[in-house]
Amino acid sequence: MQSKFSDIELIEQTLAGNQSAYADLIKRHQRFVFTLALRFAKTREDAEEIAQDCFIKAYRSLNSFQRQSKFTTWLYSIVYTTAMTALRKKRVDTDSIDDENTYIQIENQMGGYDVNNVENKSRSYYLNQAIAQLLPDDATIITLFYNGEQSLEEIGQTMGIEPNTVKVKLFRARQRLKEKLERNLKQEVNELI
Amino acid sequence: MNTIEEKLWNYIDGSCNAEDQQAIALLIEQDEVYRNKYNELLQLNAEFAAIDLDEPPMAFTYNVMETIRAEHASKPLKAAIDKRIIRGIGFFFVFTISVILIYALASIHWSAGVAGAHGADKSVLPDLKHLLSGPIMNGFLFLDVVLGLYLLDGYLRKKGLSKTDESVQTSGQQKTQ
Repeated sequence: MQSKFSDIELIEQTLAGNQSAYADLIKRHQRFVFTLALRFAKTREDAEEIAQDCFIKAYRSLNSFQRQSKFTTWLYSIVYTTAMTALRKKRVDTDSIDDENTYIQIENQMGGYDVNNVENKSRSYYLNQAIAQLLPDDATIITLFYNGEQSLEEIGQTMGIEPNTVKVKLFRARQRLKEKLERNLKQEVNELI
Repeated sequence: MNTIEEKLWNYIDGSCNAEDQQAIALLIEQDEVYRNKYNELLQLNAEFAAIDLDEPPMAFTYNVMETIRAEHASKPLKAAIDKRIIRGIGFFFVFTISVILIYALASIHWSAGVAGAHGADKSVLPDLKHLLSGPIMNGFLFLDVVLGLYLLDGYLRKKGLSKTDESVQTSGQQKTQ
């Protein structure tokens, strides 16, 4: 059950020493943080590690949260920085960060889903598949805008870029997502024929 | 120059000004290309908005809280102890000693004169002679020596560590210079 307190109230309780308030805060935001981490990580295990790390970092620096922005904006900026660092660490000795081909991570991320069962594949499945094929920045912008319900300004704060740049990047990310979705659907149709 | 798609996305997001908003609304109404594209993007927008969030493992919150608790537990004791507790313990000892002292002073018969002068009260002390015999004393001294060596070892280690820290810092400073 979700806590009836607002984020700020839960933060105040946590700072007063009530750890269960922080557990409520985690429960409230864990799905989004995990999803955002999954946009960077190749496996669910890596994403879990990143997400855990983010909540621990947020707890440690809860005192420094100025409350000038939303808690989610502050938290997502921690996720973005942590995930980027983790990504760089993992890939520094192997391949380029801009290489899209290395982002074929669908099999791992769709754990438990029966890929061969064509009947089960809905359009949302292909959409998730297409998102997994995007570059982390594109996937992050799409996720923050649609799932995180963040404004262009807030996304800019999270990613450390100007709102106008976010607007341009969002447009390009949508185009790429659309292209990948169409390509995946075409491929599936061809396989069926 | 904005493409049709870019204009339409701005229109859908509401991120263009009122004038542009009106102009695009008119184009959608009158131009079939715009109308078709708008409907296509609107459907896509709805699909993007309906993307499901992934669910982390069941024990996710528990794992994070356990890590935080473990971090708290591993903090040095010095940082964890509340000063009020120390003061409380100090106050308890001072109070106990004061009570014993007051009780002892109050129970003395000042009028009885010098003790022993009339063959009165002789303090009955336990016989400690056998406790200070050879083997016990030796054991006690041996324990003292071991504790002393242990403390000396700790002190020398700390001294060695601080020396290496200093040398690392000075070499770092020299490198930056």
